[in-house]
Amino acid sequence: MKDSKDKPEIDEIGCLEAINGLYAYLDGEMNDPESIAKFEHHLEHCQACYSRTELESALGELIRKSAKGKAPEKLQNRLRKLIDGI
Amino acid sequence: MTDPDTKAWFSRNIEQCMDSLYGLALRLTRSNANAEDLVAESVAKAWSALATLEDKERFRPWLFRILHNCYISEYRKKSVRPVEYGYDDIVVDGKEDDITGFLIEQPDDFLNWWGNPEREFANSLLGEDIVSAIQMLPEAFRIAVLLVNVEGLSYDEAAEVLGVPPGTIRSRMKRGRTLLQKALWQHANEAGLITDDVKRGCKS
Ligand SMILES: [Zn+2]
Repeated sequence: MKDSKDKPEIDEIGCLEAINGLYAYLDGEMNDPESIAKFEHHLEHCQACYSRTELESALGELIRKSAKGKAPEKLQNRLRKLIDGI
Repeated sequence: MTDPDTKAWFSRNIEQCMDSLYGLALRLTRSNANAEDLVAESVAKAWSALATLEDKERFRPWLFRILHNCYISEYRKKSVRPVEYGYDDIVVDGKEDDITGFLIEQPDDFLNWWGNPEREFANSLLGEDIVSAIQMLPEAFRIAVLLVNVEGLSYDEAAEVLGVPPGTIRSRMKRGRTLLQKALWQHANEAGLITDDVKRGCKS
């Protein structure tokens, strides 16, 4: 892909900085667009950090799916009764 | 808001939070019966403390905080302790430098294994393994991972639940995840999920 001239320059970051920001990125805690752009730019150019991010994101998804709770019906009824009675 | 409206509003919000409350309570107490009691008690407490809810948009973190406090004051001592996993040497809120080090050094095998064609098979086994690995995490990391990763709270909200600074959540999330990965990696190794082929992997 050719760089268009109005595309802003993105500062390069190293693997250490990328890995330090990885969880903030995945947890939606990287809030300024510049940091996000730097991080994503690094991923496009670094296979190792790209794979790491893929892995962390897949693992996060798996944790979410596996650890999600489901209130037993007995508890649901108990809570509804409790709220009815207050 | 008139009283019936408040009650209907409360009821609606509790309905939406039931699964989350139970999930958190179960992972904290590690017992179905205690988890149900903890949730019921927390909901009752939440109703009586409703006046302390300043921002209705933050009902979830507010409610989780009540549950967490209730757990600490009444249920923690009853909670079932799992087989210890050798986490004794872990400082809960230590420096972060060693984590970055660990992440960088973490075996490429793990990455290769994850990306290999057996992944689907591994995934089906891992659901339960992940839950037991979470159960064995020290409480401070367990609750952070549950709030942020499972319940999708922001670091700010999780910090509000636990009454700690957001930076503490950040570092506990790093450590918690690192410990989880280490445990899963060990488990996969022991269970023979990782063949020598995979370990040699796609490094070449
Ligand atoms: Zn990199």
